[in-house]
Amino acid sequence: MSRVDTPPGSASYILFTVAGTTYALSSGEVRHMEMIEGVTRVPNAPPFIDGVVFSRGQVVPVVNLRVRFGFERAALDLRSRLIVVQSGSRLIGLLVDAAREFVAIPRDAIQPPNDALAGMSGRYVEGIASMGDRLVLILNLERILNFAEVLAVGLAE
Amino acid sequence: MGSDFLDDYFAECDEHLMGVRRLLLALEVSVGRAEINRTVLDELFRHFHTVKGISGMVELRAAEDLAHRLEDYLRALRRSEVTLTPEGVDALFDGTLMLEQVIAARRSGGTSPVVDAVARRIARLVGASPTGGSPAPESPGHVASPSSSMPRWRCVFVPSADLVARGIRVDTVRKRLESAGEILEALPLVTADGAIAFEFVLATALEETTLTAWRADGIAVERIADAAPAPADAAPPESTGSADSETSPSRSLAPSHFVRVDLTRLDDLMRNVGDLVISRARLTDTLSRVAQRIPAGDWRAIQENAITIDRQLRTLREGIMRVRLVPVGEIFRRMPFVVRDLARETGKRVRLELRGQGTEIDKFLIERMMDPVLHLVRNAVSHGIETVDERLAAGKRPEGTIVLSAATAGDIVRIDILDDGSGIDPDAVMARARAAGLPVPQGTPDATTLLELICAPGFSTRDESDRASGRGVGMSVVQSAVGELSGSMRLETEKGTGTRFVIELPVTLAITDALIAEVGGETFAVPQSSVREVVEVPIASLLQVERNEVMPYRGAALPVVRLSRLFGLPDTTRDRLHLFVVGVGAAALGIAVDRITGQREIVVRAIADSLARVEGISGATDLGDGHVVLILDPATLARQARERPDRPVAARRASA
Repeated sequence: MSRVDTPPGSASYILFTVAGTTYALSSGEVRHMEMIEGVTRVPNAPPFIDGVVFSRGQVVPVVNLRVRFGFERAALDLRSRLIVVQSGSRLIGLLVDAAREFVAIPRDAIQPPNDALAGMSGRYVEGIASMGDRLVLILNLERILNFAEVLAVGLAE
Repeated sequence: MGSDFLDDYFAECDEHLMGVRRLLLALEVSVGRAEINRTVLDELFRHFHTVKGISGMVELRAAEDLAHRLEDYLRALRRSEVTLTPEGVDALFDGTLMLEQVIAARRSGGTSPVVDAVARRIARLVGASPTGGSPAPESPGHVASPSSSMPRWRCVFVPSADLVARGIRVDTVRKRLESAGEILEALPLVTADGAIAFEFVLATALEETTLTAWRADGIAVERIADAAPAPADAAPPESTGSADSETSPSRSLAPSHFVRVDLTRLDDLMRNVGDLVISRARLTDTLSRVAQRIPAGDWRAIQENAITIDRQLRTLREGIMRVRLVPVGEIFRRMPFVVRDLARETGKRVRLELRGQGTEIDKFLIERMMDPVLHLVRNAVSHGIETVDERLAAGKRPEGTIVLSAATAGDIVRIDILDDGSGIDPDAVMARARAAGLPVPQGTPDATTLLELICAPGFSTRDESDRASGRGVGMSVVQSAVGELSGSMRLETEKGTGTRFVIELPVTLAITDALIAEVGGETFAVPQSSVREVVEVPIASLLQVERNEVMPYRGAALPVVRLSRLFGLPDTTRDRLHLFVVGVGAAALGIAVDRITGQREIVVRAIADSLARVEGISGATDLGDGHVVLILDPATLARQARERPDRPVAARRASA
């Protein structure tokens, strides 16, 4: 994935929105982004798995981040995006409401998460960055995927 | 006919006859065996076939005829029409020697020896396989020649334009070497920078200084250490080591005929073919949409082309698949050591028989099947075969036997692990299952139920032999490995007599024929190899027995599971269903779908991530529109249905 020119002291992120909140993932973890249409449902898969799609010839599970974060599932529209992330050898698609831009966030603009941070997504937040008048929640990919894993195993039993 | 052409002919014959001599040594150990290493036979056949062809081209009829007879005999051996006898081996040696003499006579311009007697002898071997008979006299040609005592030198010649200008070419170099001594080997090589070179192994009494002077003519010479050439490097056959003795000849095959290929390159190639298959399907769809607008004559031409492309695609695909095939012997090779070690550890006496190592399966399957087969073989030693005392008390031979065999039938490869041990005790299995808290059926379990119990996660035995046989891999892992490869496993066991595990796998995975089915508005693909029969039934003809549906089928009641219910999809609104009949005997089951819409070739893609891997789905495919179509795994579905016929997992009814 191409990166923006990153000034020293900052790192490159991809910004996206889920249920009105802006999140960020380190761009090093993102393989690519694509428009999404026609997800194939997988019977008896965990609830937050919408199904599978082909992404560049590989079968990739689609994790619905709205459901993952405890929101209602929303219909796909033109702004919906699949962010294909790579963790180790795994490729996983994260379905988000919209994905917009690459940004460089200075390290000193990132604060550790507040304990009072409410909601399901709080568990996956690594830091909070304020960019002008908006707040961006920086996600920890490993935690999202690991928690998904635990849940998947729990459901399978 | 130019002399250059003849030189090429002689050089090529040299190479083939050299290969033949090595292979014959490897073949000798197979005398009297029902199974002969196929690779050796195939290679020999190919060598003679080529010599026949090129001899015909230079009109050397005696060589052509002789090579033809030899080829015939090998064909008969390959088809197992005749057994390899000592006379057969002698005739092959003598025939080869005669072939060499005929070719040498042509080269030197001398008189050709008479080939008729030898040719007739070989021809007789093909007609009827003579048993007994007097052994043919030792032929003089293939025993140690006088030159074997001379020092050996490796001479590498790299041709170049400069050398050619000076009249030094490979044929002149060859003549020079021949006049200096005896050429033991000649091999074409490709050098590091891509140029062609020739390597000769020369036995000569000449002084080193004479030889090193050749460097000026582009011939690099190097003394070869005085190790015995040991041509018969095949290990002597022994009961547990037949894998060793049968695989070693492959080392002595002429290296120039083989190319090492990185498996990932083959995967890429396979993926390209897969894409081609999908594009082809897409083209069919497009064509069928515009069919009406195309004049009939043109349409026919398009159809003919389409059929040709289909055939060529299939050939291409099969060609690539064949390249991926490797002998199953790669799995078997480790087993004799494992059995020997484990037998010693447990104080048992075990003989391992390997059969069908030449059976070829996809490289991918080899890698995935190594551990499961290893586990079953270890189990057979630890749990199957009894101690010597127990065996003697049971009136058996003190030595237990484990037979590991592989065979192909159509698109299926079958691996059997058979032992003549104590068999699986149903009562012990039931007791252990109960202790492990597993649901246990009433009455005496049949083999299918037994297999399910021992394969259940949680049914791991906790006795001493576990350390040996378990290695952290339980039977549940064996079964899931087989399932992931779209295979199935079967158990036959009789108390006191022995146990047989049968694993059946598709020979290749990547592309397969499938039926396309619709269930509750979703499309699924079903590998045809796992379906025994497809029947259409009126829903009204299904009988309700307690909470299960059954249908009359071939004089018995066939349990039916509706995929819609297993997958939490809406039931069909039609009044008829299509059923896939899978499994046999007590394990037979009908899997009901709304309807089958077609049959086609599909490209199987793995579902790599655990988040999307669910029971009953073995992979995914693309029918041409870029959307994922899931591939059902009927064997797992059947198991799932048997385990919980009344409790299909409630699938999420998502609002999306």
